[in-house]
Amino acid sequence: MALIRKKKKPEPEIPSSSMADISFLLLIFFLVSTVIDVDTGIGLTLPEYVPPDQIQTAPISKDRMAALLINEQGDVLLDGNVIAIPQISKNLKARIESKIELDKNKKLIVSIKTDRKTSYNLYIQALDQVRMAFNEVREEYSKRKFGKRFIDLDQDQAQEVKEKIPVIISIAEPELIKK
Amino acid sequence: MKFEKKRAGVKQQIPTASLPDIIFMLLLFFMVTTTMREVDVFVKFKLPEAKAIEKIENKRLVNYIWIGEDGRIQVNDAIVKVSDIQDIMYKKRQALPNLIVSLRIDKGQSMGIVTDIQQELRKAYCLRINYSAMMKE
Repeated sequence: MALIRKKKKPEPEIPSSSMADISFLLLIFFLVSTVIDVDTGIGLTLPEYVPPDQIQTAPISKDRMAALLINEQGDVLLDGNVIAIPQISKNLKARIESKIELDKNKKLIVSIKTDRKTSYNLYIQALDQVRMAFNEVREEYSKRKFGKRFIDLDQDQAQEVKEKIPVIISIAEPELIKK
Repeated sequence: MKFEKKRAGVKQQIPTASLPDIIFMLLLFFMVTTTMREVDVFVKFKLPEAKAIEKIENKRLVNYIWIGEDGRIQVNDAIVKVSDIQDIMYKKRQALPNLIVSLRIDKGQSMGIVTDIQQELRKAYCLRINYSAMMKE
C-alpha cells in the first residue's frame, strides 16, 4: 500500500528581518524630534509691584539685614566689606545660625542689589552662594535635631525647619536714577 | 602540498532575532524620557552654572522667557519687546494663576535687562520665577 502522507505544508511565517529596520527608523525619529530638557534653576518669589510714589519704607534693624552689593566690575560688598563671591556663603552661614531661635520677624534678610551693568552670571553666582548658605544651615539643623537629612524629613518636620530657617532673599528695588 | 584554512564546522552567525526587541527597548526609553519640542527657540543662549539648584516639579506650570546673547527676548514662539511682556504674561497668568516663569538668560547678559523684565513680571503679578541654571560639576 502506498503510503499516503499529507504533504507537509511549510509553516506560515511573517518575515521579521525588516522589523529591526522599522524600529530603527522610529528610534531615529524620536531621537531627532525630542529634547531632554533640564528644568533646573534657582527659584525665587518676586515682591509685588508697588508704584514708586507709594513705596513705604519700613525701618529694619541693621542686625537683621545682610546687604549684598555687586557692582559692574564684579566686586562684592557684604555690609560694607569687600569679599570674594565664594566667601559669601561662609559669611552668611554664621549669621543665619545665630538667628535660628529668634522670632519670626527677626530672621535674617539677605538683600541683593546689582548695577545695571553687572553681569548676569555674577548675580547668579552670588544668589547661588546665598541659597547655599541657607540650605547648609537647614541641612545641619535637621541633622542635629532629627538626625536626618533635610530631604528625608517628613512634612511636619520639614515645615518646622523651614519655619526656623526661612529663606528670605530680597531683590532691591532698582534705582530709577541710574537708568 | 595543499594548504587549506581550517574552519570550524559550525555556522558562523550572530543571532539577530532579538535585535528588534533591543531596538524597541531603546525606542521605549527615548519615548518615555523625552518631551516633544514645543517651540523653536530662536535665540542663542548659554545658561549659567550654579550648585544650589532645584528641579521645577510641575512642568505644566512653567512658562519660559528666553534672552539670548544678542539681547533679544523670546516669549512663546515670538521675539518680543520688553514692554510687551506685561500684557502677555498677564493674560497667561489669568489662564493659569500659579504659573512659574522660568528665565533662561544667557550668562553673558547684564543685569539691566534682567531687572527690566523682572519689573514687567511684577507688574503682571507673575511673581514666581526661576532662574534657569545648569548643575555645576
